[in-house]
Amino acid sequence: MSAIHLQNLVKKFGDFTALKTMDLAIADGEFMALLGPSGCGKSTTMNMIAGMEEPTGGKILFGERDMAGVPMGRRGVGFVFQNYAIFTHMTVRQNLGYGPRMRGAARAEIDRRVGAIAEMLQLTPLLDRKADRLSVNILQRVAIGRSAIMEPAIFLLDEPLSNVDAAFRAVMRTELKQLQRQFKQTMVYVTHDQLEAMTMADRIAVMDHGVLQQVGTPLEVYNNPANLFIARFIGAPGMNLLKGWLAESDRGLIVDLGPLGATPPLPDDIAASVRRARGEVFYGFRPEQVTLVQRGPGLSMPVTFVERIGARTIVHLGEGESAVKAVFDNDVGLAIGQTAILAPAAQSVRIFDAATGRAMKAD
Amino acid sequence: MADIVFRNVTKRYGKTLAVDDASFTVNDNEFFCFFGPPLSGKSTILRLVLGLEAPDTGEILIGGKPVNAVSPAERNVAMVFQNLALFPHMSALDNVRFPLVERGVAELQIKKRVADVAAKLHIGHILHKPPAQLSGGERQRVAIARALVRDPNAYLMDDPISALDARLREETRVELKRIQRELGKTLIYVTHDQEEAMSVADRIAILENGKIRQIGAPAEIYDRPASTYVARLLGSPMMNILKSVRGAGGVEAAEGTIRIADKAAPTDAVEIGLRPEDIKVGPWVDGTSSRPARVFEVEPLGGYTVVTLAAGQARLRALLRGQPDIRPDAMVAISCEPARVHYFGQSGGALAR
Amino acid sequence: MSAVTATISEDDMDAVQAKPAQRDDGAKLGFRLTLPAQILVLFIAVFPLLMQLYISLTDWSPLSGLGWWSAWSMWNSFANYTDLAADARFWSALKRTAIVMIVCVPVEFLLGLALATLFADEFPGKRIFYSILLMPMMVVPAVAGYMFFMLFQSGGPVNDILSSLTGSPVTIAWLSDPTLALFAVMVADIWQWTPLMFLILLAGLVGVPEDQIKAATLLGANPWQRFVTIVLPKMKTIIIIALAIRVIENFKIFDTLYIMTGGGPGVATETISVYIYKLTTQDLIWGYVAAIALAILIVLSIAAVFAMKRMARTAEMPA
Repeated sequence: MSAIHLQNLVKKFGDFTALKTMDLAIADGEFMALLGPSGCGKSTTMNMIAGMEEPTGGKILFGERDMAGVPMGRRGVGFVFQNYAIFTHMTVRQNLGYGPRMRGAARAEIDRRVGAIAEMLQLTPLLDRKADRLSVNILQRVAIGRSAIMEPAIFLLDEPLSNVDAAFRAVMRTELKQLQRQFKQTMVYVTHDQLEAMTMADRIAVMDHGVLQQVGTPLEVYNNPANLFIARFIGAPGMNLLKGWLAESDRGLIVDLGPLGATPPLPDDIAASVRRARGEVFYGFRPEQVTLVQRGPGLSMPVTFVERIGARTIVHLGEGESAVKAVFDNDVGLAIGQTAILAPAAQSVRIFDAATGRAMKAD
Repeated sequence: MADIVFRNVTKRYGKTLAVDDASFTVNDNEFFCFFGPPLSGKSTILRLVLGLEAPDTGEILIGGKPVNAVSPAERNVAMVFQNLALFPHMSALDNVRFPLVERGVAELQIKKRVADVAAKLHIGHILHKPPAQLSGGERQRVAIARALVRDPNAYLMDDPISALDARLREETRVELKRIQRELGKTLIYVTHDQEEAMSVADRIAILENGKIRQIGAPAEIYDRPASTYVARLLGSPMMNILKSVRGAGGVEAAEGTIRIADKAAPTDAVEIGLRPEDIKVGPWVDGTSSRPARVFEVEPLGGYTVVTLAAGQARLRALLRGQPDIRPDAMVAISCEPARVHYFGQSGGALAR
Repeated sequence: MSAVTATISEDDMDAVQAKPAQRDDGAKLGFRLTLPAQILVLFIAVFPLLMQLYISLTDWSPLSGLGWWSAWSMWNSFANYTDLAADARFWSALKRTAIVMIVCVPVEFLLGLALATLFADEFPGKRIFYSILLMPMMVVPAVAGYMFFMLFQSGGPVNDILSSLTGSPVTIAWLSDPTLALFAVMVADIWQWTPLMFLILLAGLVGVPEDQIKAATLLGANPWQRFVTIVLPKMKTIIIIALAIRVIENFKIFDTLYIMTGGGPGVATETISVYIYKLTTQDLIWGYVAAIALAILIVLSIAAVFAMKRMARTAEMPA
C-alpha cells in the first residue's frame, strides 16, 4: 500500500512553527507536487514523510500503517536530495548498487539490476566512472537511479532540478514523469517552480508559511485559485490583481476600479451569491486571457514595457498599484507609450475578498 | 565613443580552446548579450573584455583603440558581480564612492559623480544605509552605481540573476533593461537563460564551444536561426527538428505525418524545423496527411498547453493556446503554415526558401 | 595614485604597448615578500644538514680538541656507515623501536577512533569528558615519564590495583623485567598520545558529509555498514595524516621512556633515540652519531614522502 495520509501534521522547531496542522491525502500511484516559496514548510513535510524528522504532532500513515517510530531506513521510501548526496568516493556502479548491496543481494543479482537501471537512465557508458567528477546532469540521474533500483513504493524528490540548467530541466521532467508512470510509484515532489509542478504533477499542494493553501489538479489550481497568494504564485506571469470595491449600478453589481475608470460587471454566478454590495475586493484576470479591443468597455492603460520572448510577447501596462501584464502573440504591435484597451475574458475573471484574501465563489 | 570590437580573438587554456576566432562589435549604448550553454566561452569573453586575460591571437579595441596590452584598471570597463560583492561594513554611499576614493579623485568631483549616478538609479534616498538593510533590488542598483561611478566605457554582468527565484527573475530583468535604457551605457551581459536573453538584449551573440554562431536582435535570431544549433537554443519548448524528404509539391516529414505544400522549399533541405507554437493540431480527417499523429502527452500550463505528439518514430511538441480539450491517445492531424517552416541543409545550416 | 582615466591618449598607448601587460604581479610580489622567510628556513634547515653530512664522514669527537670545522683532518669517508651496518646494538635498538611502533600506533589509532565516534553525537557530560580526555596530551613528557615510573613500582599503584582485583598480593617488578618494562613504556605512550589521535580523527569524522550518511541510511544501511562504506572512506586522508604523524613521532620516542627506564633494564627498552643519546652524551663519538642520525633522517623522509603522495592522491577527490 503506498497511499500517504498526513493527519493534523505539525512541526515546531523550538518556538518556530514550520508546519501548522496539515491534512493531505496522496493516492496510491499519484504524482503530488508540494509547491511553495522557500520557507513554506514543503521540505519539512517531506523530511517527516521520509522519517528524517519526527512530527511534533499529528500522524503520518502509509496506507493503513502509522509510521510513528519507524526509522528512516525501514520506511521503504526512495529519496532524492536537492544536492544529490551521491557517494563521491564510489563509482556510478557502486552508487547504483548500494541499496541492494546493503540488503545482502547476490553479486549477479546486483549486476543485473544495476544494468537495467543504467540502461533506462542512459548511464551505461559511465558505470565505471568515479562519481566525483561527473556533471550535474549525470549526477541527477545517478541519484534517481540509486533510489529507483530499490523499487520503492513511495518516491520522494526534494527540488531535484533546481541545480540543473534550463535546457536539461525540460528533458529531466519528461524522464521523471515517464519513470513514475512506468513504475506506478507514489511520487511526492517538492519544488518552488510552479512550471515544474504544473507540467509534472497529477495534483499540486500549494503551501505558504507552513499552511496548506490549496490542493487540486494543475488546471484546478490555475483556473480556480482559492486565494490571492495562489492566484499570484501560479502562472507565468501570475494573475493580475486590481483593487476595487463592490458597488450597485444600473447594470447590476459591478467592481469599481477607481482611478482606472473602469467598472466591469461582477461575474453572474458570483453576483447571485453576494450578500452585501459593499467591501473592498481584488479583481483578478490572467494575462493570457485578455483581448485587445479598439473601443468599448475595458481597461484603458498605457504600455510601459514590451518583452518579446520567443513564442509570445509580454506587455506591461499601467504603473504602481494598477500595473498589469498581458500575454499576446508576437504580432500584437504595441509600443511603449501607446494606450491599449484590455478586455479580460468574462469567464476567466475571479474576484477575491480583500480582507480575507479568499476567492469569492458562487454558492 | 565606447564601442567594443573583437577581431579574430582566440584564447586557449592548455589544450582547451575557450574562445575560437571570435569577431564582433558591441555598439555604444547597446544592451549586448552573450548566450550559450555552460562552457561555451561566455565568461572567457567577459574576462578578455575586462582585461583579466590576454588574447592569444587577435585584437580587442575599446573606443577604437587597441587594448590588448592595457591593464584592466586602465580599460575603464566595470563589472557587476553575481553576488554583487558590496562591502558589508560600509554604507551604500561609501560603497559607491569607493572606486573614486581609491583612485584619489578630488572630493568635489566624487560628490558630483555620486549624485549624478544616484539620481539616475533612484537610490539617493537609501545611500545612508548599509547593504544589509537594503532589499535585493536596491542592493543591485547600488552595485550598478558603484560600477558606473567611474563613468566607464561599458559595464559587464555575468549571469546576475540566475540565483533568484522565478518571480524575482522576471521582475529584475525588466528593471535591468529599464536601467540600461535610462543610463544609456553599453552593457555586456552573459546568461544561459534563453528567456532572459530574449527579453533584455538589443542584440545577442550565440556561442558554441567558443565560436560565435550568430549575432542579431532576439526577434531576428528567433525567427531566422542560422543553424539547427541556434534554432534549438532559443525557444521553450524547443523547436522540433525533423528529417524531411521531398514530397508532392513540398516536403514531408515524420513518415508522412507532416506534409508541407511549399513550392519554394529549397531542394537541398534535409531537415525541417517547426516551432511548437506554429504547429496546428486538429482532428484527423482522411486526406489531410497520409498518417495521423497520436497524442502522447498533454501538459497543462494554464495559459498554454504543451502537447507531445508521437508522429511516426519522432516526437513533436506543440504549444497550444489556452486549455483545449485534447486527450492522450487521440489521433490528430498536424499541419504548419509553409511560411513558418524552417529549412536546414546537410551541415545544419539554415536554407532560404 | 593615477587619476581617473576616461580614454587613453595616443602617447599613453605607445608607452603601454612597449612592454607586455604585467599579469603575474601577484605571484612576483608574493615571492619577494616571502624571500626573507625562505632564506631563514634555508639557513636553519639546510645548513645544519650539510654540517651533519660533513661530520658523519669523519671520526670527529669533541674530545679531539679540534673545532668541528677542522673535522676534515679525521676523515674516514664512509667508515661510519659501514660500522653502522654491522652495529648489532643499533639493529636491536631499531628492532625495539619498530616493536613499540607496531603496538602503540595501531592501539592509539583504534582507541582514538572509538572515542571520536563516541563524540560524534551528543551525550550528557560531553564537555567535561572532552577536557579530561585531552589532559594527558598537555602533560610534559618528562613529567609523564616520572609519573609512570612511580605507577609501575613494585610497591606502586598498578600492583595495588591488580592485587585488589585478583585478591592475592601482586608484586610484579615491571621496570626490572625486560619484557614488562617495554610493555610499561608502551602503556605510557598510549596514554599520552591517544588524545592526539582522537582530536585528529574527530576533525575528520565531523568532515564527513551528513547528507551522504542520510542517503545511505535511507537505502537501508545499518550503522556498521554506514561506518565502513561511507565514514571510513571519507576519512581516508585524515587517517593517513594521523597515522603518518604518529608513526614519525613514535619512532623518535624518548622523553617519557628515558625518565621511566633510562633505556633499561640493560638495553631492554633502548630505542633508537635512547641509543643515540647515550652515544652522544656518554661515548661522545659524534661523527658516528651524525651518521646514524642522517641514516634515520633519510629513512623517515622516504616514509613521509610516501605518505604525502598517498595523501595528495586521495586529497584530489573532494568529499
